[in-house]
Amino acid sequence: MADPGLTVEAAADTSPHASEYSRAARRNRFFRLGKGLAAYIVLAVFAVIAIGPFLYLLSPSFRKSYELFSYPPQWIPKTFYTGNFATILHETSYLRWGLNTAIFTVSVTLITLVIDTLAGYAFARLRFPGKTVLFALVLATLMIPTAVLIAPLYIMISHLPGWTHSGVNTFPGMILPMVASPLGVFMMRQFISTLPEALVEAARLDGASEWQIFRKIVLPLMKPAIVVLGIFTFMFQWVNFLWPLVITTTDDMKTLTVGVASLQGQFVTNWGVISAAAVMTMVPVIIIFLVFQRWFVQASMAGALKQ
Amino acid sequence: MADILVKQLVKRFGKVEAVSNVSLQIADGEFLVLLGPSGCGKSTILRVVAGLEDADSGEIVIGGRLVNFIDPVKRNVAMVFQNYALYPHMTVYKNVAFPLQIAKKPKAEIEASVKRAAGILGLEELLQRLPGQLSGGQRQRVALARAIVREPDAFLMDEPLSNLDAQLRLQTRLELIQLHQRLGITTMYVTHDQVEAMTMGHRIAVMSEGVLQQIGTPQDVYRRPANVFVATFLGAPPMNLIGGTLESVDGGWRFRGENVDVPLSAEVLSPPELEHEIEASGDVQFGLRPEHFRVGAPGEDGGIAGQVRFLEPVGSDLYLTVEAGGATLQVRTDPDSPLQQGDNLSLHFDASRVHVFGADGHNLRRDAPPVASAAALAPTIS
Repeated sequence: MADPGLTVEAAADTSPHASEYSRAARRNRFFRLGKGLAAYIVLAVFAVIAIGPFLYLLSPSFRKSYELFSYPPQWIPKTFYTGNFATILHETSYLRWGLNTAIFTVSVTLITLVIDTLAGYAFARLRFPGKTVLFALVLATLMIPTAVLIAPLYIMISHLPGWTHSGVNTFPGMILPMVASPLGVFMMRQFISTLPEALVEAARLDGASEWQIFRKIVLPLMKPAIVVLGIFTFMFQWVNFLWPLVITTTDDMKTLTVGVASLQGQFVTNWGVISAAAVMTMVPVIIIFLVFQRWFVQASMAGALKQ
Repeated sequence: MADILVKQLVKRFGKVEAVSNVSLQIADGEFLVLLGPSGCGKSTILRVVAGLEDADSGEIVIGGRLVNFIDPVKRNVAMVFQNYALYPHMTVYKNVAFPLQIAKKPKAEIEASVKRAAGILGLEELLQRLPGQLSGGQRQRVALARAIVREPDAFLMDEPLSNLDAQLRLQTRLELIQLHQRLGITTMYVTHDQVEAMTMGHRIAVMSEGVLQQIGTPQDVYRRPANVFVATFLGAPPMNLIGGTLESVDGGWRFRGENVDVPLSAEVLSPPELEHEIEASGDVQFGLRPEHFRVGAPGEDGGIAGQVRFLEPVGSDLYLTVEAGGATLQVRTDPDSPLQQGDNLSLHFDASRVHVFGADGHNLRRDAPPVASAAALAPTIS
């Protein structure tokens, strides 16, 4: 039985290295504190850089426009003015723009997820002639700047054969050119490649068709990757400005980004109203990200863990 | 249940010939082990039989039916993978039921089959767990259950025990043997572990670099290896080999190496005038297993003088590394032996246990087995 009087502390007190131990322990504590503090300072700097513009936008949205140019400048308003938000909601087509954006973004996201996961599976697991060349071509399209595509896309959509009217100012005309992203195809293909080949082979031996293998085996295992692609697509399309600007010419078909930009007058601009509109536009994206952020971690860790 | 015939199978991956003209037959109900080092082509043969790879040439016949161009599921074989390939998002019940659901069996039949398989493998309490909540041995049993429910004509097992620890491997090996005895399903089993091969198979097919080296019962393959590869691959420690020459002396053969001069009995090699294919002064290798040496006192008549370099006690035996006859030999002896490092000794052996391998590596013994392909297509189950 151990001597009850010989505790760790008692042993430390009587040890010839006791004073050296306590000095080393103190040094170790300060070092760890210092490292933690340094990490927090660095993170705080980056957090300020990231959140700063949003906070900078928040202030004018709660102030009257003429107060924005007061001197000295005031970051935090003395009273919180909500008139800007009322103006946006009642005197502009903001709600219609919001609906258009929701339809556009959700449709593009859903169709992109379907096409990209199917394409990713085909490139990862199926064998067909020309697969390598085709995949290289898909990736090669990433090198083409979006601005270069806008004009030919507009011409295509406005002169679609078989349509009784131009695709301009229509939801199909706005949505279809934005589906199927090469980056999404690449991401899905890479993720599916990390899934053990034996799972697919076992399912084949169990009699599953390729569609059943995709639907029952691969798709359930791809949830983190699908959520990440969905979030990225949603966020990107929600703030997409250039294509909706080009393809919509009427106020009732504008999206939020185009609509908010149109609030800027030729001679006079109500910055308070524009700031309020921008803040309201960002809120859904922030909510989506906060709700689904844990999937980002899952997706990034999926390849790191041994099955 | 069905027999499996592999006839002159060739499989290439690019320029590499992974399987080179392999022929073998597995009788109905037989347990055949494909044994060999990594990269020898054994898994490739299994995958071609399963239909996961296409043969470049050769025939695969299962139950009298040519299956080269038939989908994997229609071959009615079930495969157990090295990493089990359990569907991680499905419970044990759903994993086992999956092939039956794909086949659109009635729900009641599926439930009955799953419960029967679970009963055979002791999985009744685990049916609602996910694979991630199971131990390695439990996962392996789930993989087996998923194979059993399909009531296949044959099992194909690709190193199913390699991911288990030593103790669990031993326990699961016994369970697999019992399962095969109970179900009697034709089984093709791939492994690189010679203990598994020796204890589990009715016959062992030894592979090296895509070529079938020898096929026979475990005792045949161990006692009468066809060539140097089989002789040294089976047995731990492997067979000792000493280089030298054969000389015809007084109507018999003598092996002469550096500091070794051993007469070979007629039981090992036929008299010279009958052995047309053995050249009298050709280079050969003299082979003897560690357990066939007897350790004698230094200078004892009739032995080969040697000195102990290392000792490896393993509990039940003592392995000596001995410098003798110009070679380094592994000798198995009594664990209570008083020998120490540096001690001199003499090594004796039963001349009938000796093997002689020709310059091309083939065993020149009179009772050495024939070429692999001929024996492969004439199986017997003892």
